Amino acid sequence: MPLGSVIFAFILGAVIVAVTGANPFAAYSGLLCGGFGIGCTQGENPALEISNTIVFTIPLITTGVAVALPFRAGLFNIGAEGQLLAGSVACTAIGIKFSTLPTPILLPMVLLGGMAAGAFWAGIAGVLKATVGAHEVVTTIMLNYVAQWLVRYLIIGGPLQLAAGTSKSQPIGAGARLATILPADNSFIVFGLPASVYRVHTGLFIALVAAAVFAFLLWRTSFGYEVRAVGQSQKAARYAGVSVRRTIIFTMLIAGAFSGLAGAVQIAGVDHNLTDKYFSDTTGFDAIAVALLGLGSAVGIILAALLFGALHSGGAIMQSDAGISSNLVLVLQALILFSIAANFVGAIRRGLPFGRGVTPAQPSELPPAAGLMSEAAVPPPETT
Amino acid sequence: MGHKRLRFLVLVAAAMVFSLACGGTTGGGGTTKTYKIGLVTDIGGLNDKSFNHLAYLGLQKAITDFHVQGDVKESKSGDDYIPNLIDFAQKNYDLVIGVGFLMQEQVGTVSGQFPNIHFAIIDGAGTDSKGNDLKHANVQSLYFKEQDAGAMVGVVAGWLEKNGKAKKNKHVIGAVGGISIPPVNHYIAGYKWAAKMEDPSIQVLVGYSNNFTDPAKCSGVATSQINSGADVLFQVAGGCGLGVLQSAGKAGVYSVGVDADQKDADPSVIASALKKVDVATYTAIKNVVNNQFQGGALTFSIANDGAGYSIDNFTVPADLKTELDKIQGQIHDGTLTPPSDIPA
Amino acid sequence: MSALGDVGHLLLTATLWQAALAAAVLLLLPALGGVISERSGVVNIAMEGMMLTGAFFSVVADLAWHNPWLATLVAIVAGGMMALIHAVVSIQFRADQIVSGIAINIFAAGLTVFLVSRIYGLQDIGHVGPTEGLPYIDIHGLDQIPFLGQVLFNQNVVVYIALILLVATHVVLFRTRLGLRIRAVGEHPMAADTAGLNVFAIRYGAVLTSGLLSGLAGAFLAIGISNTFIQNMTDGRGYIALAAMIFGKWTPFGAFIACLIFGLGQAIYDNNSIIHFSPYLLSMLPYVLTLIVLAGLVGRSIPPAADGLPYVPGSE
Repeated sequence: MPLGSVIFAFILGAVIVAVTGANPFAAYSGLLCGGFGIGCTQGENPALEISNTIVFTIPLITTGVAVALPFRAGLFNIGAEGQLLAGSVACTAIGIKFSTLPTPILLPMVLLGGMAAGAFWAGIAGVLKATVGAHEVVTTIMLNYVAQWLVRYLIIGGPLQLAAGTSKSQPIGAGARLATILPADNSFIVFGLPASVYRVHTGLFIALVAAAVFAFLLWRTSFGYEVRAVGQSQKAARYAGVSVRRTIIFTMLIAGAFSGLAGAVQIAGVDHNLTDKYFSDTTGFDAIAVALLGLGSAVGIILAALLFGALHSGGAIMQSDAGISSNLVLVLQALILFSIAANFVGAIRRGLPFGRGVTPAQPSELPPAAGLMSEAAVPPPETT
Repeated sequence: MGHKRLRFLVLVAAAMVFSLACGGTTGGGGTTKTYKIGLVTDIGGLNDKSFNHLAYLGLQKAITDFHVQGDVKESKSGDDYIPNLIDFAQKNYDLVIGVGFLMQEQVGTVSGQFPNIHFAIIDGAGTDSKGNDLKHANVQSLYFKEQDAGAMVGVVAGWLEKNGKAKKNKHVIGAVGGISIPPVNHYIAGYKWAAKMEDPSIQVLVGYSNNFTDPAKCSGVATSQINSGADVLFQVAGGCGLGVLQSAGKAGVYSVGVDADQKDADPSVIASALKKVDVATYTAIKNVVNNQFQGGALTFSIANDGAGYSIDNFTVPADLKTELDKIQGQIHDGTLTPPSDIPA
Repeated sequence: MSALGDVGHLLLTATLWQAALAAAVLLLLPALGGVISERSGVVNIAMEGMMLTGAFFSVVADLAWHNPWLATLVAIVAGGMMALIHAVVSIQFRADQIVSGIAINIFAAGLTVFLVSRIYGLQDIGHVGPTEGLPYIDIHGLDQIPFLGQVLFNQNVVVYIALILLVATHVVLFRTRLGLRIRAVGEHPMAADTAGLNVFAIRYGAVLTSGLLSGLAGAFLAIGISNTFIQNMTDGRGYIALAAMIFGKWTPFGAFIACLIFGLGQAIYDNNSIIHFSPYLLSMLPYVLTLIVLAGLVGRSIPPAADGLPYVPGSE
């Protein structure tokens, strides 16, 4: 990951903080404490802070992958959030309906159900794109909103609601839960606190496996080759015998499955029920930044997810310890993105996956299908 | 008794009273311990001019009166409830206050993890994932009978409609709720019940904006109710609800504020339904400072002046005042009981 | 179903369409900006951030100077500044335009609330007084026309401005030389450059314009419809405007139709007090409608040929 750009962004951030009259050192030490448990001055427990960071990181890895894969094919999956919600809904519904089943049966059911739901959600956009050329940005944005309102419909006055007047679902069965890494026991003391406060769960391993699967898929399979070929140039890919239409559909299906898995893991590992907070969840959008930051590589995505998870965790501590609004974290995320995309630091190492962002000295590679505007699956008529 | 002796006794008595009163400010028993109080707000933020804001005011007053150390953590989303609550608990704060119904389950979980820390929660209890009160001894629930306050402003609205003193007088009034959760619905229940009692032919439109922060969203719902003939609008939507008040003002009809006295929010506000979250917060802190914390439920209603109403930007006709006093008295002594569920 | 009846009745009321138009305009302004920017070849998904910035600064300025017009001007400029950042980063530094756009949105979301906390502390940013917002204007005479009068001539001043801008954008883009140049730069920057057009200048101008328009929308939201600034108050409208732009095939009137559909959805939802149907399912209406239309009727969406590609003078 371009470390220099990240550091430069933090410097810019410090300037902004200082200009508005606050203390950048206090701000950053708050972030360090909340993010990595380093240098905590107000009695925060470092193990707890690290644990919170990891909890925030886990879904970002899998959704980061869900955005990064379509990027490679020249598609912009802005619908990761909707696909995540679809996965959460499926996991919750299955977890409630079959709540009496034991773990070896129910857990795979909810996770696979989540993947299927996410794949379906993304598949709608994929099929629309591949058949009638409907732009995936429009369709996935629409699907995001539909998913949001579906969540609300289900838990407020709808079939999954816990009880009249609440805005959350019933809890999923015990068999649908992902175990925490430490036993969730109030009396077992670890690092000075009851073990149940450490919420890191086995979904972490699922996320890491997902990242590995993504890398394997992209670089070691013929499908991955087709994805990259379509991403470089749909025309060239077609000439090489790749079915562009099929590739687009499958890419979206798989991306949706990743996102849906992330949603299912969140329910199974952390929340164990569906609440109204999912309506305003932003994981899928943060994942776009994670995918961009991670430069599309599995390791990069994991590191980027960790950075964003740490910033999320750190922001809360920064706000209460240093009195600086946690929204500074968003400013920093943006500065990091700018810094990397514009290559302020000027380091010319590998190009970005889409061949953008190089300094003026180098001619840019031209994958015309990359990014937002991509050609339709069928050769377009002459432009007006 | 001679004058001098009398005066001396009075002085001694005054000194005793004075020292007793002052003794309370240093935390009971004369110790110099500084109590640490943590407030975890709900997602509306401190800017909501009602709910979270009132809790904050209660905390401020306690800081002034008892010299406690008060810290606030704003929850930006539901994901923050657990980290925020645990952060205060593991720093051994003397009281951790959760402001809101939405964090019941989290208060239930964290109070179980830290049985030696005192918790208080406004509008709820520490529950399990199914909503059952875990009845932890270290959790104090601060409930409100919002329906009492809603009923009082419902009397105002109903009386105005019946006597033709509202703006359009079509016997239609409205209520705009945030989300359909009990604290919101209790208000609306009391409002509708009382309005119908005053004016049996009244129609009460009930709508939800599904948002507690953005005034533009509530504006839309309010405008639709106004277009359907409503000329008294009750906002039960926190920061979003300020849009209701504003729309009413633009349309030239009346509006009713919620939780705090919102007379300054818009000139169209003629009354506010009061929920004394600041009093409840202050009381919870005071109990801890005086080593009188007790788990269980405290209910604030008209009977103990924990709920009420205010009249704003409006001159109350004498008949209405009489009616209000009468109804308030009846609720106070239990003759009348506003329902907690919205009547049909 | 009584719900359908309710909606049917509603569709016959002027007040519904009046609300729908206002909601549509809030989307139309950033959508027009997007059209102009993308026609010149710069992908712009930063409308959300530019609008939010405009909203924030309009409130700050109105609270300070109690003048909605001045405040709107400030908002427009603020939107422009955000656009300038996007322009510099993507045109000058040739950053990926999507990354830059997303970064702007995140930046605006964070910066606005951060500044609220720095300037106003933990307390509220405050409310603009009832006489200090952008005014609603009845056009006397014309507003007496049955039905249409209330819909078209009884609106906030920004609605009128927006409708004029809609027509203006269409005319400029398709009937003037300037518009031709903008489109040329978007389709074949190489050829345009050879023909003597300043590609960079035109692109900068187009992106800047999108910022100005989005800033205006922000002011409408914050001091026209509402009277304060709330965190994330734009609530995704910038992204919907993006969808509207694509749906409308990068034309002003096409985008307007899409905006009307979304505005209608919003207006119907606001009437959930009188419609006997789940407000949540109601909310889905405009989005599902869009999907259906995209699946069947709209056909392929073809962007300008050089959209999204940084222009490198002298390269292929």
